[in-house]
Amino acid sequence: MIPAIGLLLGIGAGVLLDVEVPLGLQPYLPIAVVAALDAVFGGLRAVMDGVFNDKVFVVSFVANVLIAAFIVFLGDQLGVGAQLSTAVIVVLGIRIFTNVATIRRHLFRA
Amino acid sequence: MPEPTPPPTSGPVAPERERAAHPAPEKEPEVTTGGPEPPPSRHEYASLREADPPVPFVPTAPSGLSRLMRALRAKPDLGQVAVGSLVGLLGFAAALQIQADDDDLLTRARRADLVQILDGLTERGDRLESQIAELEADRRDLISGADSDQAALEQATTRAQQLAVLAGTAAASGPGIIVTVTDPDVGVDALTLLSAVQEMRDAGAEAIEVAGAGDTQVRVVASSYFLDSGDGVEVDGVELRPPYRFTAIGEPETLASAMQFPQGVVSRITDKGGRATVSQEDALTVDALHEAAPHEYASPAPDDDAG
Repeated sequence: MIPAIGLLLGIGAGVLLDVEVPLGLQPYLPIAVVAALDAVFGGLRAVMDGVFNDKVFVVSFVANVLIAAFIVFLGDQLGVGAQLSTAVIVVLGIRIFTNVATIRRHLFRA
Repeated sequence: MPEPTPPPTSGPVAPERERAAHPAPEKEPEVTTGGPEPPPSRHEYASLREADPPVPFVPTAPSGLSRLMRALRAKPDLGQVAVGSLVGLLGFAAALQIQADDDDLLTRARRADLVQILDGLTERGDRLESQIAELEADRRDLISGADSDQAALEQATTRAQQLAVLAGTAAASGPGIIVTVTDPDVGVDALTLLSAVQEMRDAGAEAIEVAGAGDTQVRVVASSYFLDSGDGVEVDGVELRPPYRFTAIGEPETLASAMQFPQGVVSRITDKGGRATVSQEDALTVDALHEAAPHEYASPAPDDDAG
């Protein structure tokens, strides 16, 4: 219940508060969001599989976000930022789809 | 959404299985884990269907949904708060990012996109620039055209005024001479007066008017004629009686000397019994007008330059 409330609170704060994203963070925020999304769907799947663990979730969330941002940062330094961020998005997207497919089977048995 | 307790949720699963295959619910794990194992031959097809779903999706105990519901109703602890704050962070960042998307598209655009956008803008700028140049050239043309039209109009107006003075349809003023001819015996004939007019023209008179006694006056133009009549002359259909008074506008000295040279106008008038006096004036006005009749046969010849 608390995570659901937290999600709603976060979205509300993001919509209502007029916070400017720091310039240095701007290229990495979209990737970080997608990585966090992957972690959240993974966590949801783990809940349904009955193997959810707070510690694992927190670590995987933070690690996902940091690694995704770091890969994009590295790509920008190497001059292949666009391609590398595309690669990260593709990988995370595949993972999200897999997780959502599992969740779907749990929910609809199909 | 009504929340089924775990046993009822797992309940519907069991009948379904029974319908699909004969093995009892308690044997189910065996069936799923040992999928390849030959099941009872009668229900081969059904058991194959049974083996199809991947391993995790045969819930023995509570289903995924019921687990989710249970997790939702779980007592809050530190782990949940941590998870909640992280998920909240995600929502916050996502909302920010989506709003930033609305704000400015350029700041997040990749280099290739920026180059393309820049290309497009440059091209558009070039196009607009050339359009500006075109329109400015048009504007210059129009302005200079208006100027030349204005100049042409002024020229034409000036020319029309000159021609009007020449044709006698406009009043004229300027320096000139007045020749007064007194003729008590009516001996001065039309020919003499006409020769006086010719002398004035030769001397460069630009506008000539002849007045008779009383209020009769006639503008002398190219088509003017002089006829003898009973006790005076007829000029352009107007009867004039002596004394006559010529007003000629032109260079006064030249006109005056043209009147007075030996065997000239003055002496001829004297011969005919009249008397002529010439006076030079600085400012004269010729205001008798000639009414120009429209030409019946002559029309302006086509200009060689035209076209």
